[in-house]
Amino acid sequence: MSLSRLSALRSGLRCNAVKVPSSTMISQYWGPCDRRELSIHSPRQAIAQHNTKPDWNRAVSEAEKIVGYPTSFLSLRWVLSDEIANVALHLRKLVGSNHPLLKTAKNLIYNGKNNMQAWGLIVLLVSKAAGHSPEIPDMEQDKAAGVLHSQRALAEVTEMIRTSHLVHKGLVNMNARHRTADEPDDMMFGNKIALLSGDYLLANSCSELANLRNQELVELMSSAVRDLAEAEFLGERDDQNNPLPSRPLPQEQRENASEWDCILNPLPMSGVIGSARREWAARHVLAAGALLGKSCSAALKLAGHIPGLQTKGYLFGCHLALAWQAFLDLEAFTGPEPASFSLVGAPLAFTLEARPELYSYIEAGRKSVHEVDYHALYKAVLEGDGIEQTKQLQREHIATACEVLESFPNCDARTALANIIVAMQQDHL
Amino acid sequence: MACLSSSRLCARVQDKLLCQFGHKVRKQTVFVKLKPPGPSPLRIFGKTCQRVTTCGPACGSGGAGAATAGLVRRLASSLQSTSTGSLPDYGTQIIDPYRLLEDDLNGIYEDIRSELEKNTNQAELNTIATYYFDGQGKALRPMVAILMARAVNYHVYGENSALLPSQRQVAMISEMIHSASLIHDDVIDQSDFRRGKPSVNVLWNHKKVAMAGDFILAVASMMIARLRSDDVTLVLSQVVTDLVQGEFMQLGSKETENERFAHYLTKTYRKTASLIANSVKAVALLSGADEATCEVAFQYGRNLGLSFQLVDDLLDFVSSAQAMGKPTAADLKLGLATAPVLFACEKYPELNPMIMRRFGESGDVEKAFELVHKSRGLEQTRFLAKQHGAEAARLAAHLSPSAYQRALLLTTDLVLNRIK
Repeated sequence: MSLSRLSALRSGLRCNAVKVPSSTMISQYWGPCDRRELSIHSPRQAIAQHNTKPDWNRAVSEAEKIVGYPTSFLSLRWVLSDEIANVALHLRKLVGSNHPLLKTAKNLIYNGKNNMQAWGLIVLLVSKAAGHSPEIPDMEQDKAAGVLHSQRALAEVTEMIRTSHLVHKGLVNMNARHRTADEPDDMMFGNKIALLSGDYLLANSCSELANLRNQELVELMSSAVRDLAEAEFLGERDDQNNPLPSRPLPQEQRENASEWDCILNPLPMSGVIGSARREWAARHVLAAGALLGKSCSAALKLAGHIPGLQTKGYLFGCHLALAWQAFLDLEAFTGPEPASFSLVGAPLAFTLEARPELYSYIEAGRKSVHEVDYHALYKAVLEGDGIEQTKQLQREHIATACEVLESFPNCDARTALANIIVAMQQDHL
Repeated sequence: MACLSSSRLCARVQDKLLCQFGHKVRKQTVFVKLKPPGPSPLRIFGKTCQRVTTCGPACGSGGAGAATAGLVRRLASSLQSTSTGSLPDYGTQIIDPYRLLEDDLNGIYEDIRSELEKNTNQAELNTIATYYFDGQGKALRPMVAILMARAVNYHVYGENSALLPSQRQVAMISEMIHSASLIHDDVIDQSDFRRGKPSVNVLWNHKKVAMAGDFILAVASMMIARLRSDDVTLVLSQVVTDLVQGEFMQLGSKETENERFAHYLTKTYRKTASLIANSVKAVALLSGADEATCEVAFQYGRNLGLSFQLVDDLLDFVSSAQAMGKPTAADLKLGLATAPVLFACEKYPELNPMIMRRFGESGDVEKAFELVHKSRGLEQTRFLAKQHGAEAARLAAHLSPSAYQRALLLTTDLVLNRIK
């Protein structure tokens, strides 16, 4: 009974997200936030995103069918747990305040392109595409979906870790010493709730992982949590910890190598800062690639695959995440000019490298990224070949991901993964 | 053969002592680490051999590890010739657990710091993450974990037992989980001072502090995984769940008067006692003790933890800010009703509405503070803490008598009588 109610609720939410005219929804909910926080998707971007959705949505919903019910835990444990019921009550108090936690919560519910579900989904698709060793007892398999129960649990953990990180990232920086009227109690309260909700998800993923009784897996996934934390410290930041690109190094000091082979060690940083390609890659490997890659690798470990294939799984996840990121970065430059866009996106990084004098625009954002003249940077990106270079970058990562895909047997899950990748490319062509 | 090995070991003892001596001269507090490296459980016996033989030629009796430690220390003190006389015999008398475990605890903060440092290439993250591992803490959790580890090892293997490296790892992990939760607490409570210095949220921005907490937890969790024991991982993952649930409980105060005390105790267990209880259970599991012994360890930790927190709540009312290293009456200011207030409520029902509004109106904190002092709330809290301490001591008596077991008993008193 409660299950059907929940799934109805969920599909209802989805319909709403599509039906409601996006512009009103956005101005209604996001309008007040823009002053305080740079949102990753500015309103205009979100509209652009909306128009390009169908192919993507089709690829994702087809893929969801292949591995059984939607992978998200949001519909079940999340809603049913006491703690979250508690949080929901408190969240209500925050409505009307500008706390970004509300935005994070909304992003979780409305299926944007950046959605959580797709991450767990990819882990499950990789699981199914690779199959599992014949020694695994029937009891541990979800025969209908073609994945292991443990892999489904892992997919949930992946989503929980990612959500937890997003929620913690959504904290507002407040000055503890000089509290001003602009930073009222509800901001502090919002921070408290955000911190606790994130911790709750993290704690749950700890115990889910422990229940899998595979210590190599626990180590691998914990290292992904570590990488996410590291990501928030890379390079320069404004006062709200929004990332800024580093000053480009002079031509002769740039290095091109990129190394992510030692999975369990922290990502090496030598020669990364100031070199557009490597800095972009390092930033997004830490913030996204590591988690997706390690989750894919862990899924293959659970299925009893050899270490060689596990490494390939890691590379697949990493390259897919980077291709995805390149895609998101490009989005700002495909539709009408957005009010703001990611300052650490690849198109801008390449442009800055080609024209280092533009870095003065970035320096204007030291205190707050809102101070940056986005229009000037936007024009500079369109004038240069940053977009073309980013497309090339995306093609490279897609090619590497597809190469890994070739090593799995041809099956519906592999096709679904390929479709997701194609959908990601098509939108720009 | 025996002769050969014993003379070799004798030389080693002397080396060790000279080393200690040398260090003492250079730097007053540093001792060399005696912990040999390597993870195999067999090393219990390996190290034991060493211990027994080191003792053999020097004192002529195959004394227990504790006796050896005593001897080593006596020798050390006579070498330094700074002590006023020979130290007490650890075989029969009760000694300060921190001194008993000096060698094991020595360098524990350094080890934690280097573990964290190994796991990041971001300098600022490293700075924030290692901020509270400056050696200024009480290190109660690692101390109790190691004490229990040695006591249980003695209980199971007799005098031929030593601390396993994995058990010392658990001690480090317990302190790391504790610090990770402190760091997040600082953001939640907006506290300005902790351990006598500015708290992390004053020095760095909140997002970074939150991430540093996640980072410490992640590294601790990797260390747990590297112990490669399913049961230990399960036991320690429970701690993290408990901590968060405890924090959630602290958020709400909807419960009725009757439920309030139970709510408080459950919250106290989850926020404080669970970490101590489960980490001592983890070291017992690692030692290979039977289920009953693991349960004794767990219950000891639970009662000690409850006693510890009750005293903490008590000190929040009576201790000076200077001694605590953090502001007093902090709990009231945060809107929290701890045991002294809940007890005081019986005599002064006017506290009830204040509890319900979380001491939110002006004058509430001062009024409640005064009423607690006028009531018997502090006394009753101490009594409850004493009871849990006594229960912990009763449980520790189940373990075979050893210096460590006696130190476990003494720890219950230490917790009760501490002033900070």
